[in-house]
Amino acid sequence: MSDTAMEAAGLGKRFGRRGGWALHECSFRLPTGRVCAVVGPNGAGKSTLLAHAAGLLAPTEGSLTVLGSHPAAARERIAYVAQNKPLYPQLTVAQTLRLGHELNPARWDASVAERITYENGGLDPKAKVRTLSGGQRTRVALALALGKRPELLLLDEPMADLDPLARHELMGTLMAEAAQYGTTVVMSSHVVAELEGSCDYLLLIGGGQVRLAGDLDDLLAAHTLTTGPVRDLTPHTVVESRTTGRQLTALIRPQGPFSGGPDARATTPSLEELVLAHLRSPEAPALILASARTAAQESAA
Amino acid sequence: MVEYRIDRRSGVATYVQIVQQTKQALRLGMLEPGDKLPTAREVVEATAINPNTVLKAYRELEREGLVEARRGLGTFVKRSLGTAPADSPLRAELDDWAARAREAGLDQDDVAALFTAVLEKFSKGDKE
Amino acid sequence: MTTLTAPGTTATPTRRPSATRGLVRTVLLLHRPALYLWAGLFVALAALLLWLYGPGTDAAAAAWREYDRCTKATCAYDQDAILRYKSYSQYASIALAFLPFLVAAWAGASLIGREMETGTAQLAWTQSVSPARWLAVKLAVPAALVTVGTSVLVVLHRGMWVRGQGRIDNAKGWTDTFVFHANGPTTVALALSGLAVGALAGIRLRGSLSALVMSAVWTVGVRAALSLALPYLWPTVRTVTSLTHDGPTSLGITVHDGLLTSTGARLADPQCGSSHSSECSTLYHRLDAVSFYTDSHPQSHYWPLQLMATGLVLVLTALVLLVTFRLLKRDTGSAPLTKGAAL
Repeated sequence: MSDTAMEAAGLGKRFGRRGGWALHECSFRLPTGRVCAVVGPNGAGKSTLLAHAAGLLAPTEGSLTVLGSHPAAARERIAYVAQNKPLYPQLTVAQTLRLGHELNPARWDASVAERITYENGGLDPKAKVRTLSGGQRTRVALALALGKRPELLLLDEPMADLDPLARHELMGTLMAEAAQYGTTVVMSSHVVAELEGSCDYLLLIGGGQVRLAGDLDDLLAAHTLTTGPVRDLTPHTVVESRTTGRQLTALIRPQGPFSGGPDARATTPSLEELVLAHLRSPEAPALILASARTAAQESAA
Repeated sequence: MVEYRIDRRSGVATYVQIVQQTKQALRLGMLEPGDKLPTAREVVEATAINPNTVLKAYRELEREGLVEARRGLGTFVKRSLGTAPADSPLRAELDDWAARAREAGLDQDDVAALFTAVLEKFSKGDKE
Repeated sequence: MTTLTAPGTTATPTRRPSATRGLVRTVLLLHRPALYLWAGLFVALAALLLWLYGPGTDAAAAAWREYDRCTKATCAYDQDAILRYKSYSQYASIALAFLPFLVAAWAGASLIGREMETGTAQLAWTQSVSPARWLAVKLAVPAALVTVGTSVLVVLHRGMWVRGQGRIDNAKGWTDTFVFHANGPTTVALALSGLAVGALAGIRLRGSLSALVMSAVWTVGVRAALSLALPYLWPTVRTVTSLTHDGPTSLGITVHDGLLTSTGARLADPQCGSSHSSECSTLYHRLDAVSFYTDSHPQSHYWPLQLMATGLVLVLTALVLLVTFRLLKRDTGSAPLTKGAAL
């Protein structure tokens, strides 16, 4: 088994001949067994990236491989839940799960799907999908995805229309399945807070390009949030800096040991601080950590 | 069995919270040698945190010799932590000290600050 | 990689159950209302045609016999039976002619368009089923039902029509456009082309309403174009008649008619009439016309024309399917090595 869940090499996608690039020159690697957050503002290209990985879109340029092969060839081993959680409204919950069995005869695990829908979710097997609430629909969509026992689970804004309780509960379910089967999970969100704690890998996308990629803890450790008197921050890479009177607040990537001086405070940023600083500074250089580099990027580095 | 409570706004890394709460349970006698820690699946199902975080915490506890992973069975407590039962002489001394501090006019916050400062000094001394 | 248990189900199973059978069952489940509607429509039309074939024809034929035998000023005959046969046989022919539009509209809107619109198509494509196989099964199941259903109805219609020949004086002839199609396989081919166009419209437009409109309009267009092209699909027979007739004489379906000059040149018929009238005689003389001619199809050309038209529509259907699958593959990006994913 390949230890790479997803690898993009110069991936680009343009809708229509004259349309703008939804994704452009994206290169990164995602190791297996991780729970990866794909973060970025609306329209950054998160959904486009996930749809490519799910084998629903063909790249305009470059390539994307998942689990070591073309997405279409890995179809059986991938599950995908689209943002609007499409399900057949005329079917019952039980019929929807049977559909999962019919269309995935080689992989279907009814016990996983039933645990999520009936045991944990308390759904009525005879209830029509069209009568379900947003949270219940998400639950059924997740059951359909996890019942397939995927090696790679792609979730596009999975928790967007859920209340905090259902969000916490479903995220727990998701993490439990990932823990038990070693599933690689990739989930996108524009609400960073809902991913904190659940994800251990980060892919920050902005303007169709990869801005940050790597192990979350390593990415946070590679940055320092500093406040102190206005001063020259060279040779460190400054992601964002703001001056208020004589005070300077900056997010930097220290090059070598960083000491802010006697009056400066230096802390590790939170995920939200890291993401927001990068989104506010689109011109800041991208940072792709070693574990997230493709072979080509590795040899170039 | 312990149940972990994760505070995402505490600023303390999640895996450290698990380590601390496990040690706390060992100290208070809620976990004893031979007890099984919850599986990663059980922990993440209840807390919605990342499975790798739980495994990292368990590895840390294992490294400290407090628990051991038995393949296919789970993670078990290997040894207990020095407990300070309610009737120990140290506790009595601390009681005396607290009474003297109040006589000296210190309020609860002052006492806590003093106590924490001394504790930090000692723990720094450990590391050096 | 750090997880408690090794990732499961990575070993390739020795026997790989195919998702195709499950997909067939799924298609039947998802489109159960349409299946019931089709079954209902089939039963109703078949019942009507069977009634026309038996009691309807007998009653009307008996009434016509009475009528033809009548020599008095007023005779008692079952006029209602004649009118009933006339209306119902026309309804049946028209209903059969409209089936292809119904199939096209349904295929565009419900079979494919709505799935593209709501994203359930993508839901299916991210199970263990490739988009191409999904589309193939989505089309094959209704295609089989449509082929069987329309074929049986066409056979019944033809039986009914043949049984009324020579017995019911006001029965429509074989050249009537509704009867022409309802009596032969063009109806089946048009219905299948409606299905294919519905799929193309659904994949291309990704909306149920727009796909409904486009596929219905396209099928009407194909039907109209077929009507225009039909006479030219087989060589015609020329009939030359004397100018003393009232005009050119057609054998069935007329393609061209007019006047022939002494040199064999063809002229348009001035619609004057028989040369018995001196006026017309003078006119024909001035035009150097020697006879009427008609290039037309006799009834013996019915099957050649039907088969040519059917073939033409099926070729068009195949082209539409090719474009549809190409489009789907271009949009979704299939694997470099697809196995069994085509038609």
